[in-house]
Amino acid sequence: MKKTILVPTDFSIESLHVVKSLLSRAHEEELFNIILLSGVHLSDSITELLFFSRTSLIQSMSNRHFDEACMVIKNKFSSQINSMCKDIFTGATQSAFNNYVEANKIDKAYISTNYKLQMPSKKSFDILPYIKKSALLIDQVDWKVETRVTERGKLSAIFANSISSN
Amino acid sequence: MKTRFKTTLLLLLPFLTIICLFSGFIYFSISDYSHDDFFNLLRIRAITAAKAELDLTSESVIKESQDDFFERLPHERDHFFPILPEKTFEQEAEFLNVPLTFLDEVLRDGDAEYTNKNYFYKGIKYDSAQGEYIVIASAENYFELHHATYLKRILFFAIIASLIFSLIISFYFSKYVFRPITKITERVKQISSEHLNLRLDLESNNDEVNELSRTFNNMLDRIETSFETQNNFISNASHELRTPLTAIIGEADVTLSKIRSPLEYIETIKIVLDEAEKLDQKTKALLFLAQTGFNGKNQKFEEVRIDQLLWDVKETIEKINSKNKIHADTSLLPDNPAKLKVRGNDQLLHLALTNIINNACKYSDYRVVDVSIGASDDNVFIVVRDKGIGIPEEELKYIYHPFFRASNTKNYEGYGIGMPLTQNIIRMHKGEIIVSSLLNSGTTVEIKLPIGKF
Repeated sequence: MKKTILVPTDFSIESLHVVKSLLSRAHEEELFNIILLSGVHLSDSITELLFFSRTSLIQSMSNRHFDEACMVIKNKFSSQINSMCKDIFTGATQSAFNNYVEANKIDKAYISTNYKLQMPSKKSFDILPYIKKSALLIDQVDWKVETRVTERGKLSAIFANSISSN
Repeated sequence: MKTRFKTTLLLLLPFLTIICLFSGFIYFSISDYSHDDFFNLLRIRAITAAKAELDLTSESVIKESQDDFFERLPHERDHFFPILPEKTFEQEAEFLNVPLTFLDEVLRDGDAEYTNKNYFYKGIKYDSAQGEYIVIASAENYFELHHATYLKRILFFAIIASLIFSLIISFYFSKYVFRPITKITERVKQISSEHLNLRLDLESNNDEVNELSRTFNNMLDRIETSFETQNNFISNASHELRTPLTAIIGEADVTLSKIRSPLEYIETIKIVLDEAEKLDQKTKALLFLAQTGFNGKNQKFEEVRIDQLLWDVKETIEKINSKNKIHADTSLLPDNPAKLKVRGNDQLLHLALTNIINNACKYSDYRVVDVSIGASDDNVFIVVRDKGIGIPEEELKYIYHPFFRASNTKNYEGYGIGMPLTQNIIRMHKGEIIVSSLLNSGTTVEIKLPIGKF
């Protein structure tokens, strides 16, 4: 069974815990297309829009540790992940978001209950209200992690929630 | 000095080339223009002369106007030859001292030019009332005679002057450019191994030379640190080796001072053996440190499976001390075992991991230590987390120095060789080790090893 799911992200390793825990709870025969989505306001300047590139914008917001952590998760759940991609939502209205959901055939959204998304850049905005208002099925995922302050942003954070399991 | 000379030359040569090209262009274009201009003048003279000489109708009027408006050119001469059928102009050519082809060309095209030294000849065919004539006007080119030589002289002097000028400029320029470098050289000469604390002066601006000085200073920082580390290492090593030796010598001395009971001898020998074993361990660790510090010449690298290695390490550690508790976390262990293969030396990696995990157990007072494995497409990650005493933040950067022990480790046994040794081993495998820690809360060690391509 193939499913396309949406996970809001701020390109931090902590936000990937949602993916990790939802995958570890999912049935083995389920296959996921995962979209990691972050909201960004587009610039009003014409010159900036002229040279706008979606890929380079995503690249500039993301970082090496995040990509590496994504790969670690992909390798672990290789049989369950069909695809996993980072994307940005640049719309400003609820209907734009609904269109995005429809265009990407998203079935479900997963939201973390205990991690508050940060703003990775000045132009970022929170997409949680859009998700909550849309017709999407929403699943709240909670996970207990004990990341220390010193581990923030480092790859070891992705290994962190194992502590709560014992 | 050599570079300075080169720079001067390098500046001078293009400058000179440009000036020469410029002058040459001016000279040749001016002289070309003046030739054309002079021939045009001659042509007008020829027509006017022909009109005056040959068209008899209004002779007096034109003669007047000729005298009024036209100055005669220097050494001007006009000749008129009637064109008759079957006539050749050999005599005339000889008379004028011009080649016959010139006159033939006039006859054929009705217009020709000829130059003989400074004398210019212009020939035209003129259709007058008395019949067709060849009109030849010749004169000395005044410009060629005077202006051209003047122009040549001027240009020559201009080139000489600009050469001298540019020589001075480029000389001072090169001197100005190389002054900071000369300064750096002088300063660096002062910095010997005794004066490693000296640094180059930095200026406020941000140019390349300043960048060079800064790089140099950074290098000096590192050299100074490594010098100090070296010095510390020797004193620490001798101290560490001497402690068990002193214990052995002291124990033996005290025991030998009088006859003792066999039980006491046994006790003494036990102590001696104990200390000797400690000494043995330390020298072994030092030997390893020295070996791994080089580029790993003697080590054989083969395929190592990290998960396998981790189970071995776990077994070893639980054997060393039954109180050690390790929780192997496989929640991110990749499905594909090919992602866990690393090119490396099994024994050395075993040693490194044992060191890290043993430290984690030791400094967390035998609480559970989490060991996780994960792999991306290029790297294998091993993360060891404990809930121990941690490392003070300001001491974190020293943990790879041999014999360094953090200030909060007084109650724990150790020599401070484990971490540098581990770092050497990980470096040999082109990996990376990152330690993050919070005092009294725990330490996380992240080891990254590149996946081997088999």
